[in-house]
Amino acid sequence: MSTSPAPLPIRLLAQWRTFAPSWMILAGLAVMPLLLSSPNFIRLLFVTLLWITTSVAWNLLGGFAGQISFGFAVFYGIGAYTTALSMNAGVNPFIAFLVSAITAAAASLLVGLPTFRLRGPYFAIATIGISEAVRVVMTNLSFTGGASGYRIVEHRAFRQLDHYYTALVLASIAVAFSVFISRTRFGLGLNAIRQDEDAAAGLGVNPYAYKLGAHALAAALTGMVGGVFSRYAAFIHPQGVFGFQTSVHILLMPVIGGIATIWGPVLGGVVFGIVEEQIIASFPEIHLFIYGSMLILIILVEPGGILGAFRKLLRRIHGRR
Amino acid sequence: MTLIEFVNLLASALLLAGIYAVMSVGMTVIYGVMKIVNLAHAGFMMLGAYLALELFERFRIDPILAALLVFPVMFVVGRVLHWLLVRRLPTSDQPTLASLLLMFGLWLVLQNLGYFIWGNADRSIYTSHTLSLLRFGAVTISTVRLVVFGAAVACMVALHLILNHTWFGRSVRALIQNRYAGQIVGVDDQKTASITFGLGIGFAGLAGALLASLYSFNPDFGRPFLIRAFVIIVLGGLESVSGVAIGAFVLAFVETFGILFVPAGYQLALSYGLLVVVLIFLPGGVAALTAKVRRLA
Repeated sequence: MSTSPAPLPIRLLAQWRTFAPSWMILAGLAVMPLLLSSPNFIRLLFVTLLWITTSVAWNLLGGFAGQISFGFAVFYGIGAYTTALSMNAGVNPFIAFLVSAITAAAASLLVGLPTFRLRGPYFAIATIGISEAVRVVMTNLSFTGGASGYRIVEHRAFRQLDHYYTALVLASIAVAFSVFISRTRFGLGLNAIRQDEDAAAGLGVNPYAYKLGAHALAAALTGMVGGVFSRYAAFIHPQGVFGFQTSVHILLMPVIGGIATIWGPVLGGVVFGIVEEQIIASFPEIHLFIYGSMLILIILVEPGGILGAFRKLLRRIHGRR
Repeated sequence: MTLIEFVNLLASALLLAGIYAVMSVGMTVIYGVMKIVNLAHAGFMMLGAYLALELFERFRIDPILAALLVFPVMFVVGRVLHWLLVRRLPTSDQPTLASLLLMFGLWLVLQNLGYFIWGNADRSIYTSHTLSLLRFGAVTISTVRLVVFGAAVACMVALHLILNHTWFGRSVRALIQNRYAGQIVGVDDQKTASITFGLGIGFAGLAGALLASLYSFNPDFGRPFLIRAFVIIVLGGLESVSGVAIGAFVLAFVETFGILFVPAGYQLALSYGLLVVVLIFLPGGVAALTAKVRRLA
């Protein structure tokens, strides 16, 4: 029997049904701020969307390719500063975001070219060193104001919804990228690298080039998030955008949600956004404790994160029936 | 640079190296036996520093003596944590990402514990010796640094003796060389790992307590030292205690003399940069380099 692919309309229909929930979520997020127009609620959604984007971006490298990086604050910070500097030079913000993406991707090559010669944990340690070194340099650099920070002046009225929809588009692009990559040869190659780098190389995957590619994509997305954030915040400083905390947050979300999946990092971003903005606001003294114990629990009990635990639960319920 | 300046810098580099060595050795033994990169090292250093402060403030115990008392406490803490968490990690010949993330989570929890108990203010241990100096001709040395250096070297020597002259030390060295062969000849790897973990944490606490006499600290204390410890153990070839001494000397000299060429604000960037350079160009550390040189000669 011939196994020719189904005709295009049927394939599209099948795909449409797979993605129907995502389109519904997207539509919901698009109309949400029009129904509930409390500025604080929109801010929460905006920040959560930004976190989701960085989480999904980190997952391209840390999840799909299995290269844990503690240094994503570098790209976040470079994106933030690039947008800030370009906007103050009179560049349109959306062009500034693109410039941020390109600069961050270029920086990712500078970081990746030497460090991807290292394997797994050594790469992770090297990224800590690089990220701290960059922060120290940025704290001392004079043309960006050094440790005292940098102000962004935008000569038009502040409209929160502009920022919100920018973040929504960015998050959608990130998720679309993640879905797309997981279905291509590139994604399969990254998967193979995560499982066994030597075997992947034996099968004709070039681990070095693949990792650099995933790193650059992740950095570009993270850089854009940094840019969007800096335009919203209108003030950035190295301890914030280049801070170790930023790297930690970006790494925690996908691990909490479920590493190397498409929806895990999104879930992680949502959980993190809510935890960071709501729970921490009420119990600021235990936020590191919450993150640390979450991390310990996930590693020891359920390496698949929340998504993995949820799937296990579903399987058990179905098994009982 | 005059000769006197040079000798002064040399002396301070030497003193720094002793402290760096005791700070990194705990990480090395844990890595050697268990292949776990202890990211929580800085957290234990912070705990050690605060314990020394408490001993000093509540019981008027001399800070250096307090540091030596911190060691057994942290040893027990380490063994409990090993029993509670670390032994549940899958064993491996390579450092795993799971272990990295676990220790990282532990670090966050420890940091929060620090904030919870001691708040976020910078603290320091101030005694009548803190500002006193010793003069040897033209060379001036801070008394506290010299005493801390002495304590650090004594502890390193004690560890060296334990590793080379006891059965426990023999099993540690066996496991560092080859875990499976060690098990075959009857080394109890779980027990050795547990004691080693205790030892590593104990040394982290000790180092933190010693550093508390020199620097001010807060619950975020130790991150710069954590990265320095990475540089040192990588320079030392990751698994050898004598390698740590060499690595500590190299880093201390680079940092001390680097101040002549790089502005002080960038000093940390120098050690972090060194970490990356060493990881990439000298992954086997100084030991591998000397071996290579010997092979070529």
